[in-house]
Amino acid sequence: MDLLRIENVLKRFGDYIAVNRVSFQVGAGTILGLLGPNGAGKTTLIRMITSILIPDEGEVILFENKNPNNAQNRIGYLPEERGLYKNLKVIEQLIYFAQLKNVDKATASSRAKEWLRKMDAESWANKKIQELSKGMQQKVQFISTILHEPDLMILDEPFSGFDPINTELLKSIVLDMKEQGKTIILSTHVMEQAEQICDNICLIDKGSIVLKGNIREIKKSFSKDTMLLEFEGDDSFLNQFDGLKFINRTKNRAEFRLENSEERAAQILEAAVQNVELSHFQVKEPSLHEIFIDTVSKRKENGNEKMQ
Amino acid sequence: MRKCNKIGIIIKHEYKSKVRSKGFIISTLLMPIFMISIFLIPALIAVFSSESTEMKLAVLDKTSGIGREIVNADPSKYFLTDLTEDSLKAKVIAGTLDAYLLIDDAIINSGEAVIYTKGGGGLGFISSLQNNISGIILHHRLINAGADTNIIRISQEKVKISTQKLTSEGVKSDDSPILAGLGYILGLLIFMMMMIYGAYVMRGVIEEKANRIIEVIASSAKPFEIMMGKIIGIGAVGLTQVLFWVIIGSVLFFAANPIISSFFGPEQALIDTAAVSGQGQQLPTGFELPEIPVMLIIGFVFYFIAGYFIYSTLYAAIGSAVDQESDAAQLQNIVTLPVILPILFLGSVINNPEGTLAVILSLIPFFSPVLMIVRLAASEVPLWQVLTSFALMIATFVLCVWVASRIYRVGILMYGKKPKIKEIFKWIKISV
Repeated sequence: MDLLRIENVLKRFGDYIAVNRVSFQVGAGTILGLLGPNGAGKTTLIRMITSILIPDEGEVILFENKNPNNAQNRIGYLPEERGLYKNLKVIEQLIYFAQLKNVDKATASSRAKEWLRKMDAESWANKKIQELSKGMQQKVQFISTILHEPDLMILDEPFSGFDPINTELLKSIVLDMKEQGKTIILSTHVMEQAEQICDNICLIDKGSIVLKGNIREIKKSFSKDTMLLEFEGDDSFLNQFDGLKFINRTKNRAEFRLENSEERAAQILEAAVQNVELSHFQVKEPSLHEIFIDTVSKRKENGNEKMQ
Repeated sequence: MRKCNKIGIIIKHEYKSKVRSKGFIISTLLMPIFMISIFLIPALIAVFSSESTEMKLAVLDKTSGIGREIVNADPSKYFLTDLTEDSLKAKVIAGTLDAYLLIDDAIINSGEAVIYTKGGGGLGFISSLQNNISGIILHHRLINAGADTNIIRISQEKVKISTQKLTSEGVKSDDSPILAGLGYILGLLIFMMMMIYGAYVMRGVIEEKANRIIEVIASSAKPFEIMMGKIIGIGAVGLTQVLFWVIIGSVLFFAANPIISSFFGPEQALIDTAAVSGQGQQLPTGFELPEIPVMLIIGFVFYFIAGYFIYSTLYAAIGSAVDQESDAAQLQNIVTLPVILPILFLGSVINNPEGTLAVILSLIPFFSPVLMIVRLAASEVPLWQVLTSFALMIATFVLCVWVASRIYRVGILMYGKKPKIKEIFKWIKISV
């Protein structure tokens, strides 16, 4: 089942097209990484999913239901710019936001306490938001996003402002939720995190989708053309191969790109074993980070050419 | 069902968080103290100043006894002197004498006299002296003209007018003056509440926008629900405050009444009427509550609520259009002007509540909350005018809610550049 289907959605602000005929689906129980440079149209897209904005064209179909208003209570949204009432106590804040999602007060209160305990934040319940550090506020904001147990969570840069320990804590909570069958849309600039968590990605640039699909398949489709060797000995054996583009060549380490990598990788490995004492050999997959930069910058070049 | 539910939650949240705030509690308690001091301090100042800064005036009389008559008019202020003019001058310069008045027989014809002072004395002193002397001079002129003392007495008899109000239930004493005063207070109260609570609404909207809370709430409820929930919730806070003041005010009134009347004596109480209790059972004290017209109470409640709604929706729209409070000032002026204007007309409306100007001004929806309430208090406003005004207010309210909510739903998502007024009006038309 597709929990969310975006079909040919277009959104204009005056003459500016923020989202240009975007389509994608998010399956139930999966994590989608919504990636893209600043100003790509991610926030506008998210606002249409949360029905803060209405698309000019196309449709947002949530829970197989065309009326998105009914869906609001089943969505949890953690916006990039965090928002809490400074003068409110943590527990009041959490209860209020949950009530707005149709959770009754008693349930909201007991769930809030439970989550505060889970996140090591029990003692803050009666503190005012303004007394908390930024990281603590982030935790409160996150709890408020999930207190109504939404089926779809939209997390915009959920890890920013967290220290490594809390980042890991949050990551494990997010993965737990996926285990429980919840669906998550993760918008982030940190590609390593997206790579670790997401099943699928959707890369947006200038309002249009430039890349989408399963993260493993996308990585496979980008050729594995970078090799890394670490060794003891003379590296002159590498000179017998034509067309190596060295990225990095030092005494004990060589990193290079080659074309037709599938065949020649075996040959190079063979030569290496014969000539040097090999300690590390890797045919590197491109990282999501590289794919992101590659795709976006290529588009930029093409765009510039077109303009010329 | 769901919609009511969410508005209800927002209203409750707004109400609870405001009512429990220190600012609300302090202002609610301080306001009555402030109001009492406004009335008491001038009174106290008057009492003390009349005692301490009173000037003593030496009267140098070169006439046949007018000086004596002046002194008799108020012996505490004036005294006769035998000293020469030169030594009086010296005493004034030395500061041992406040002032002296020189009169001779020419005053009867010329009507002119001169006080020599070291400076000061105050307008109050001069005018009371003038009053004292003119009566005496007039008296002498009449005698000189050969008037009979009887005629003189008759000519100086003052006219006293008291009003009686004719109603179908019979003659009642007219409470107009005190009701006009009440109207004035009620009008100002509505004005104040509109300004203060309108600003609360605006600040609340700006806070939610600046802290990006709105992004979270807007993904839970419709912008219209959020805006109206906030306005109703804060309005209920205002109503609570007024209700508290009314109760405190009534308690204080009845508690203070015996004290005040013991000061003035029962015969000097502002009103003596038996209108309150139909049987003519007089309260043992001086002040009595005038009969408050039902229409005034209905009018007050209506204009308070309608006025608040009209202005607070506009304030909410302004709040949504800006990123921070300092950007709001210019837009605020546009809305504040029609609130302040009626205050300028307040005096003329009280003086002539049935005049054409008063009727027209009080029917203008933005002015009605202040001006119509004053008219309702000060006179009998024809029913058709009240109903017309009610209808105009409701129509204006609906229009304001529509315009404001259209602006609001766009404004809350707009960050960055401060929008121009022209752009804000464009927002009304666009779809979100």
